[in-house]
Amino acid sequence: MPSERETEDQEAMRRAAAAARAERAARARAAAEAARAARAARAAEPVRVVDKHDGLVRTAHWMHVPLLFGLIATGLAIYWAAPVFRHAPSPGNPRGDYFVDIGRGLAALFGQNGDMPYWFYEHFSVGPMQLANALRLHWLFAYLYMACGAIYVAGLVRGGGWRALLPRASDPAEALAMMRYYLGVIPHALARKPWPHPPIAGKYNALQRGAYFTMPLVGALVVLSGWAMHKPAMLGWLERLFVNYDGARIVHFTCLVILGGFTIPHVILAVADGWDTVRGMVTGWSTRWKGAPHA
Amino acid sequence: MPERAKGPSLGARLGDALRRAAKAAAERPEASRESTRGALAKRSRRDFLLFGLGVVATGAFAWWLLPERAKRTWLPGAADRLDTLAGRVGLTRMQREAQLDRVLTFDDDVAEALFSKERRVRTYDRPDPGPLMNNYHGRTPGPDFLPDWRLNLTGLASGKSESLTIDELRSRFARHDMNTRLVCVEGWSHVVAWGGLRFADLLAAYPPAPGMRWAALRSNVSLDGAGNPEPYYVSIDLETARHPQALLATHHAGAPLTLAHGAPLRLVVPMKLGLKNIKAVTDIAYTAAEPADYWNERGYSKYDGL
Repeated sequence: MPSERETEDQEAMRRAAAAARAERAARARAAAEAARAARAARAAEPVRVVDKHDGLVRTAHWMHVPLLFGLIATGLAIYWAAPVFRHAPSPGNPRGDYFVDIGRGLAALFGQNGDMPYWFYEHFSVGPMQLANALRLHWLFAYLYMACGAIYVAGLVRGGGWRALLPRASDPAEALAMMRYYLGVIPHALARKPWPHPPIAGKYNALQRGAYFTMPLVGALVVLSGWAMHKPAMLGWLERLFVNYDGARIVHFTCLVILGGFTIPHVILAVADGWDTVRGMVTGWSTRWKGAPHA
Repeated sequence: MPERAKGPSLGARLGDALRRAAKAAAERPEASRESTRGALAKRSRRDFLLFGLGVVATGAFAWWLLPERAKRTWLPGAADRLDTLAGRVGLTRMQREAQLDRVLTFDDDVAEALFSKERRVRTYDRPDPGPLMNNYHGRTPGPDFLPDWRLNLTGLASGKSESLTIDELRSRFARHDMNTRLVCVEGWSHVVAWGGLRFADLLAAYPPAPGMRWAALRSNVSLDGAGNPEPYYVSIDLETARHPQALLATHHAGAPLTLAHGAPLRLVVPMKLGLKNIKAVTDIAYTAAEPADYWNERGYSKYDGL
C-alpha cells in the first residue's frame, strides 16, 4: 500500500497537471479566438474594387476559347478536302496545297521519318480524311459560337461595357504613344531605367480598344462568310457580298488568321499585365481602379 | 414681311442629336466601390470553382467529340484509358454519333426553313472554264446501257409505273438552259452550263400519288472505284424538285451529256450540294417517307440545302 505522503504527492501532481492542461487549453482558445478575430478583421478589411467585366462577357470570353480551337481544328480538316490557296502541282503534292508543304517542313523539323504530306492536318486539325466528322463538329461549334457572340453582345449592353470599346478621336495619337511604350519596355528594363506608362484616361488604351473593337467585327465577318459558304443559294445576296463562293472562303480563312493571331499577343499581354487582369476575367472585379496606389 | 417664328435650324437639331448620341456613347467614369476582403474572397472562390467545373466539363466534352483518328494522334498513350473513363460516365461513342446526327438534323432544319421555291439561285453569264467533275472516286460506266436506258417512274397518282426513253423526255418537255454554280461538300465549286427539262414539268405530267413528299432518285449503272456495280441514290424533297431551277439535265456545255457527266439524264439541283446531283438517273420513286441517301449513310447530312 502506498504511504499517505505518496498519495498526497500524487494528488498534487495530478492537480498541477490538470491546471497546466487547463491553462494550455485556455491559451489555445485565446489564440484561436485571436486568430479568428484577426481573420474576421482581415475579412472585414475594406478593399476598393472596380467591376470590370459583366458576367455574360466573362462567360462568352471563356466559352470562346475552346470554341475557337474546335472551329479551327475542324475547319482545317474541311479545308483539307479542297484547299483554296494552291500553287501549281508539284511532286507528291498534286493539288498544290501549301499546308502539305508546310506539314512536310514541320515534320522534317521535328525529326519525323518518312514522307508526311498530312503532318500539318494530323497535328493542327482533327485529321485528314475526316470530312464528314469535321463538318458535323464544325456546325455544332459554329452554332455555339453564334450563341457565344450573342451572349457577349448581351453582356456588353447589360454592363455598359460597349462604351469603352468605341473608337475615339484621340486614338491614333494614343496608339502611337503605346507602340513607342511597348517598343521601349524591354530595352529600358535591361538598362534598369524608368520607362513610365503613357497616361490612359479610360478602361483601355488605344491599342487595346482597337483590338477589342475589331475582334467582335471579325467574329461577325467570320460568321457571315461562313453562312455565305453554307447557304450560297438561298442567301445569294450574302455570297455576293463576298463577290463569289471562293471570295467567302478567302474571307473566312483570313478571319481565322486574324482571330488566331490576336489570341497569341492577347494571352502574353494579359499574363504580363498581372494576376489582377487574369483574375478580373474570371471574377469580374479588379483592385486597379483609377487612382489606386499601385495602378 | 412678317417675321416667321423660327425654331432651331435642321443643322442645329442634327448637331444636337449627334452631341446627345456622343454623350450617351461616351465612356463613363470608372465607378469604384468599397467591398471587403472577405466578400471578395467568397466571390472569387465561387467564380473559380465554376470556372474549374467549366474547364473539366469542356475537357470531357471535347474528348468525347474528337474523331478517333485525332484522339490517337494527339494522345496516343492515353486514348484507350480516357475512352474507358468517358464511357463510364455515359459519354460513349454511340452517344456521340447520335448527338452529332442531331446536330446535322438541326442544321438541315435551318436549311429547310431558309429554302423557298420562289427564290432563284444565282446564275452566271458564262460557265467557268475547264472540265471539272467528281465521280466520287467511282468509274465512269461504259456506253452499253445507253440503248436500253429508260427512266422508270413509280409512286405515281395513276397507280401505274412509267418507263420513258430519252427521246420522249427530250421531245415532250421544254428545254431550259442555265449557268449555275455546282458546290461540292468538299468546298470547291464550278459554274456549269446546263440544259434539260424542269423536274417540275415532269412532276406535272406524271403527278406523284397523294401524300408523297419525297423523290428517291437512283442510278443503277453507277460503279464503284474498282469498276464494280454500285448503285448511287439520293433523296430529294418534292419542294426542291418543284423549284424552277431543279433540272433533269440532258445537256452540258451546250452538248448532250457525256457518260462522264451522267448521260443520258442527270439531276441538277444548284440549291443542293453537288453530291445530290445524281448522274445517269435510272429510277425515280415518289415516297411518303424519307428515302435512303447514299452519303447520309456515310455521315453526311440528309437535306444538303445550300
